[in-house]
Amino acid sequence: MSRKQKKPGMKKRIFCAVVFALSAALILTSVLGFTLRTTKGTLGNLNEMRINAVLHAASDGLVESIAADAKGAKLKELRKLPNFRQMGMNEVEGQCQEAEDAARAEAESKYSGIMDGDTTKVIEKIAPLNSALEAYAAKEEAEQKVYAEISVKLYESVADWTDFAGENDDQVLSEKIISIVPEVKEAEHLLAGIIKDVRNIASEEKENDDEQMLNQLMAAVKGALINYEELRALDDDQLWGEMVNNVPELAEQEALKDTLITETRTYVENGANGVAEETEEAVEEISVEREVNYEYFVASSELDALDDQAKAAYNELFDELCVLIPDLSGLDKKMKNSIQATIENVVYSENLNFSERYGIYTDQKADSILQGSSKTTMWLAAYATQILIAGIALLLFALVNIFWRQLTKRFGVPRTIITLFFIYLCLAAELYNIYVPLMLSNVLVRVGMYGVLALAMLPGIQCGIGLNMGMTLGCIAGLLSTVIALQYDMTGFTALFFSCILGALIAIPLGWAYSLLLNRMKGNEMTISTYVGFSFVSLMCIGWMLIPFTNPKIIWLLSGRGLRVTHSLLGSFAHILDEFLAFEIFGIEIPTGLLLFFLACCLIMWLFSRSKVGIAMTAAGSNPRFAEASGINVNRMRTLGTVLSTIIAAVGIVIYSQAFGYAQLYTAPRQMGFIAASIILIGGATVSRAKVSHVIVGVFLFEGVLALGQQIANAAVAGGGLSEVMRIMISNGIILYALTQSGGGSRE
Amino acid sequence: MAEYVLEMNGITKEYGQNAVLKDVTLRVRPGEIHALLGENGAGKSTLMNILFGMPVIHSTGGFKGQVVMDGANVKITSPMDAMSKGIGMVHQEFMLIPGFSITENIKLNREISKSWLASKMLGREMEVLDQNKMAADAKKALSSVSIGIDEYSLVGGLPVGYMQFIEIAREIDKANMKVMVFDEPTAVLTESEAQQLIGVMKSIAESGIAIIFITHRLDEVMQAADRITILRDGKLVTSVDKSQTTAEKLAALMIGRGEEGMMRVKARENEISDEIALKVRNLWVDMPGEAVRGINLDVRKGEIIGIGGLAGQGKIGLPNGVMGLYPAVGEAELFGQPIKLNDPASALRAGMAMVSEDRRGVGLLLDQSIEENIVFNAMQVHGDYLNGFLRLKNGRAIRKYAEKMIKELDIRCTSPLQPTGTLSGGNQQKVCVARALALNPKFMFVSEPTRGIDIGAKQLVLDTLVKLNREQGITIVMVSSELQELRSVCDRIAIVVEGKVSCILKPDSSDASFGLAMSGSKLSGGEQA
Repeated sequence: MSRKQKKPGMKKRIFCAVVFALSAALILTSVLGFTLRTTKGTLGNLNEMRINAVLHAASDGLVESIAADAKGAKLKELRKLPNFRQMGMNEVEGQCQEAEDAARAEAESKYSGIMDGDTTKVIEKIAPLNSALEAYAAKEEAEQKVYAEISVKLYESVADWTDFAGENDDQVLSEKIISIVPEVKEAEHLLAGIIKDVRNIASEEKENDDEQMLNQLMAAVKGALINYEELRALDDDQLWGEMVNNVPELAEQEALKDTLITETRTYVENGANGVAEETEEAVEEISVEREVNYEYFVASSELDALDDQAKAAYNELFDELCVLIPDLSGLDKKMKNSIQATIENVVYSENLNFSERYGIYTDQKADSILQGSSKTTMWLAAYATQILIAGIALLLFALVNIFWRQLTKRFGVPRTIITLFFIYLCLAAELYNIYVPLMLSNVLVRVGMYGVLALAMLPGIQCGIGLNMGMTLGCIAGLLSTVIALQYDMTGFTALFFSCILGALIAIPLGWAYSLLLNRMKGNEMTISTYVGFSFVSLMCIGWMLIPFTNPKIIWLLSGRGLRVTHSLLGSFAHILDEFLAFEIFGIEIPTGLLLFFLACCLIMWLFSRSKVGIAMTAAGSNPRFAEASGINVNRMRTLGTVLSTIIAAVGIVIYSQAFGYAQLYTAPRQMGFIAASIILIGGATVSRAKVSHVIVGVFLFEGVLALGQQIANAAVAGGGLSEVMRIMISNGIILYALTQSGGGSRE
Repeated sequence: MAEYVLEMNGITKEYGQNAVLKDVTLRVRPGEIHALLGENGAGKSTLMNILFGMPVIHSTGGFKGQVVMDGANVKITSPMDAMSKGIGMVHQEFMLIPGFSITENIKLNREISKSWLASKMLGREMEVLDQNKMAADAKKALSSVSIGIDEYSLVGGLPVGYMQFIEIAREIDKANMKVMVFDEPTAVLTESEAQQLIGVMKSIAESGIAIIFITHRLDEVMQAADRITILRDGKLVTSVDKSQTTAEKLAALMIGRGEEGMMRVKARENEISDEIALKVRNLWVDMPGEAVRGINLDVRKGEIIGIGGLAGQGKIGLPNGVMGLYPAVGEAELFGQPIKLNDPASALRAGMAMVSEDRRGVGLLLDQSIEENIVFNAMQVHGDYLNGFLRLKNGRAIRKYAEKMIKELDIRCTSPLQPTGTLSGGNQQKVCVARALALNPKFMFVSEPTRGIDIGAKQLVLDTLVKLNREQGITIVMVSSELQELRSVCDRIAIVVEGKVSCILKPDSSDASFGLAMSGSKLSGGEQA
């Protein structure tokens, strides 16, 4: 290090001291706030706010209703005027608004006094309403859960919805459903809704299928017909004959005859513009995972009873409110319903935390009853969490500022920044009220998903070829074996292990040939491996079209050859590792099988790195001349490392597809090398030195930042896409940084 | 006119704490050939760098002393400055552009140009080359070094000997040349070319130009030089006229430490057996800069044999060739068993070990810990320190052995887990020795064991080698550029010249015989040991 060790300057010290003081003040304030939450005074205030909020909700509803009425009345009045038509839009609007405002002001002053009235009776009714609402909500949640479970099971088990499409008899349909999901028998009231749901889906699917069929047929027709001039002269029957001549499949599609003829005519009239795009569009298949449709949820009789109880409790409360504010009873039904929703929301807030309750009550202007100091204390108590987060963030900032040199020396600049970024994201998650357990489950799945792929970088770096961007070779081997498993309709663990093992076997010769190339190009491995990776992906784009697969589920329907781009693994081995021994703890779903598999792979690599060959390979990578002097065949070690890397990449992509639920072919594997490289580099590896721990640390950090960042980005900025931009920025940035450091990475 | 064309008075130069020149004085008369003699590292190059005002001198704090030319004090600030003051240099490595013709090379940056229309309008930058005048000049310069070659041929592809002469011709062509430095000009020449060169030097000297002649070859010195200055360890030994000395005297003065600085070691108690440990016959090694050309050597079991010689003569090539690190042909036997050449693994398996001269390049895994470095070879060659069904590395046994070696060899470190890259040179060398010892070798090559380490550490490393030899009976071949070191430790010392053993001497042989042997002089065969 040529940089001189400088003592932090005076300015920096003062700056840090100020930040420290500020953060300490914030943290102390938040502690004060948290303490205030538990004091009798604030809790009493909060409960008073609740009652106030209920009254406000009622009176505000009334006021709004009166104001709206006044506006309507004014409009009516204006219409009757003879010169109404001559009045401008703005004038009418202005006069109505005036009337509305006047009425509102009057109503407000009229009802502002109700807070001072006798509210004891109203208060008495709040508690029963709350408990009734609670009972209802609990029951509803339980029932909806059952409904959701049945739906999900149904969606997963049914591969072909066409069976259900033509069925009109409810009895037959319900038997079919029961045979698939026997659980329905225990909740028969749901059956009717589920039948509706199934009908809906089936008809949607059929529409999709028909449309697709039509598109494909049209694509074929467009491809076959060329001579527009002659075709234009033909009448419908002649045209149909011509079409069938060219595309024999049409003969079986009498039902679609008219549509097809019309479409063809339009096409012929317009010429062949844009054939290619249309064809491609027509055959592109979009598969989306089905979501539970609560529209068809049917409540059980018990739930209905609870609902009735809750309604009764509300009516009692409302009656009391009417006593207090007699005008309420005169409201129309729509307004009453709106008031009911607001009041129920205010009342049913017992289980929420302090700041959420404060937020709801404040929305109903209940904070107006707070006076002087109680206003401040309530505010402090409500925003204690936010203050605490701000305090911690500042504290962290100051600490990092002080220990920057030590931190970067120990962990390296990128790891420090990413970790810091991760912590700040966690703090932001708290601010944005993101449900952390769900996010953590998301992170765990992603860790398992990318972990094995990132592990593929390890032997590459260790054996001295650097970042093995050519791991896409292995990815393609894995994808090839996956589609072979699909070709033979394999399912479950058989399919998974078949894909892994066959993928590894295919990867061996690929990796071997690739390593021969690398051994001839020492010193240029990064360039070579990136080019090899990219060009092999492109080569296989042709390959996927030419390899003679025959299973109709995986090939293009129309041409009968060539693989589709995306293959759903539902019904094959999607998520089976995720769900193997999976359990839930603190609301976090643990994909046990997936994590175990990843850790097992790590363990194997760790053991390998402690074996004689593993040690020799690492030596050959870090100092080839040393290794050669020790009687090690450096080229053989590089070949070994490359082949290992390719094999792990093959297994990795199978695991990735398993967790993702889809196998993506063609250009999809192109980016894998970059993602894997950035993971291992974030974990602390350099382009010449890596350990298993770097993979584990890196995959948690990288995926943690991405999963969390995605949610926060979505919460903070409307519209998606930001997380993808972030992923590219982080992963490419980190690779760039590592490459700039590669010269100084080893010790001098 | 002053008596001396060039005087360098009281030159002292320090690189950091390390003084490389101490109060050196060099005086050169016009028209004389002045030989500058000294071992590797005696300070000849530094002195010449000062004369040429090389940036390396100024960037490391300059020097003390004065440079006087023709009686006037001068300050030479850059090589360009030196050239303009009439100092020329014929480099050891050729400074010629292969794609240019001889004329262009000779006239490089001193082109003769003539004006024409554009240059009259736009200034001198636009002038064109006067090819005819340049060719005439080049021809004249070439004929003065008496080689008959067309001045328009390209330099690339000419024989090396010719390039040397073109370099000289280029210097001669410069006007106002007063002093010319020849830096080992005969190193790459054949014998007849060398004779021709000496003739050229003499004729240049006759024209009044002084020549500083740097060389190791004493017989050439005796043949060409008028006066001789000898440097040793950065100090001036003497300046003598040729007529007052002999090659033997020069050799003794060049080596000339006598008993001074000798690190005597414990005398050998038992006699060395006559059994041959290593037998090398007609071994050729293609190691760049240290080629071995058909060496023959017998190493007796239980001895420490030193391999000495000047840099570039091939002494380092011997261990590297036998151990299979560089391509080699020939025959080598260890205890009667033939060694497979060009295969480090089988050399190691045969029971040989080597401590490489390139410690940081070949000797160590700088990122790895001390213990991993120490057991690496034993693990890879013999499969030691592995245990269990999976044959994984046995951390406990490794730690135990590493700690033992750290104690025995006194390796200064924080723990066995410290990366070797952070150790000092001496401690790194000890780790290398420990790694060789982990193989339990019967036979060890130790190449330049003290290069780049401080004096205290040097002594420790040498003591360790002697101890290993005496206590464990390991036969050691020690290659070193430092003759004193070899003489203090070895039983016999083989001097390697031009890729062959020129003679084998006893450590107590005279300085003169070492000096003569190293300079490859045929004047004496030395005392055979």
